[in-house]
Amino acid sequence: MNIGLIEQLKQIGIEIGANGLPYRFPIHPNLVHLTLGLFIIGIIFDIIGTFFWLDHPILRFLSIPSSRHNFYDVGWYNVVAGTAVTFFTVAAGFFEILLAQPPENFNSVWGLGAGTTMLLHGVGGVLLLTIMIGMTIWRGYQRFSWRKDESRQVQWSYLLAGVFVLGYMFIHGTLGAQLGAEFGVHDTAAQLIQHGENPKIILEKPF
Amino acid sequence: MKLFLFDFHRMLNDENLPYPDTMHPVVVHFVIGMVFFAYFCDIFGYLNNNHRMFEVSWWNLLVASFAVFVAVIFGEFEASLAEPYGTAKNVLDWHTINGWSISAVLVAITAWRGIIRIKNPLKIPVPYLGVMTVFMCMVCLQIYLGDLIDWVYGLHSVSVVKATREGLFLK
Repeated sequence: MNIGLIEQLKQIGIEIGANGLPYRFPIHPNLVHLTLGLFIIGIIFDIIGTFFWLDHPILRFLSIPSSRHNFYDVGWYNVVAGTAVTFFTVAAGFFEILLAQPPENFNSVWGLGAGTTMLLHGVGGVLLLTIMIGMTIWRGYQRFSWRKDESRQVQWSYLLAGVFVLGYMFIHGTLGAQLGAEFGVHDTAAQLIQHGENPKIILEKPF
Repeated sequence: MKLFLFDFHRMLNDENLPYPDTMHPVVVHFVIGMVFFAYFCDIFGYLNNNHRMFEVSWWNLLVASFAVFVAVIFGEFEASLAEPYGTAKNVLDWHTINGWSISAVLVAITAWRGIIRIKNPLKIPVPYLGVMTVFMCMVCLQIYLGDLIDWVYGLHSVSVVKATREGLFLK
């Protein structure tokens, strides 16, 4: 966002700090823990439920009682929770991408500029949310209608699509990590250094 | 030995890592996500008498219990390469102490949760929810400290690593 617009925000009482945000650290990467953790483990539990003949003896050896439909419960509820949280993840991401002022003079290790990385991560994030919603609806149909009475609650095609989504998440997450770690977007110390100041002196008292 | 160290330092990239990006914040997805959801499911199941949620809680907690050790291993490795400056040293120390504590408490809680589940999978005792609430405070403190390390002090970010190598923090 340009300086003039940030001045306008100050007039409505939003003070922007050294990290370019009106608060101490970005919210988006914190919500990402929930989005990725819940969705990935959801898909993995559907895989565990599907290969029950393989993992059941191991769990029985460890004296942990398990049943197949419980694994599918985890697969379902985790994916639902992961998708629900992601609306907030995307919302926080958009607010913070609007306030980002990344450096223009170098590229990431993937050879992309900060603008391209932000564009791909922003548009890709909306696409990812759309895919997650689609996957959740698909999962719901399998659970409550199509495969309600089957012992294998999920289709092979769903598991395959799930693995593809995990691959998408890896690429998408790496773009996000590059925005933080390489371009220093909303990173207080990196922003201070980019503006010629010494974070060791300025950040002496963080609390 | 000297030769080994020399080679090792040559392997480090501009984030001071021998691999592309920090791994600890990624592995931590599977601790934070699972612990928060396990807590949510236990509370929800308790309030609504929904024992299906107790199963969801248990399996998520078990995943967190495994993931926390991977998180600690990567955390220790990346902390040792972080070269913290000034107050960042104190924050990293507290993050380390609280992180090891979390790993121990989490395994104890998971074991307790497993025993509860074997005894009666349809009920959750209130003291367990109380202990879990205290544990969630530890997790929130840990997230706060981790956010300081990453987003305020910028350890392992390219700008900070470059500044460290150029000697900015020796001043």
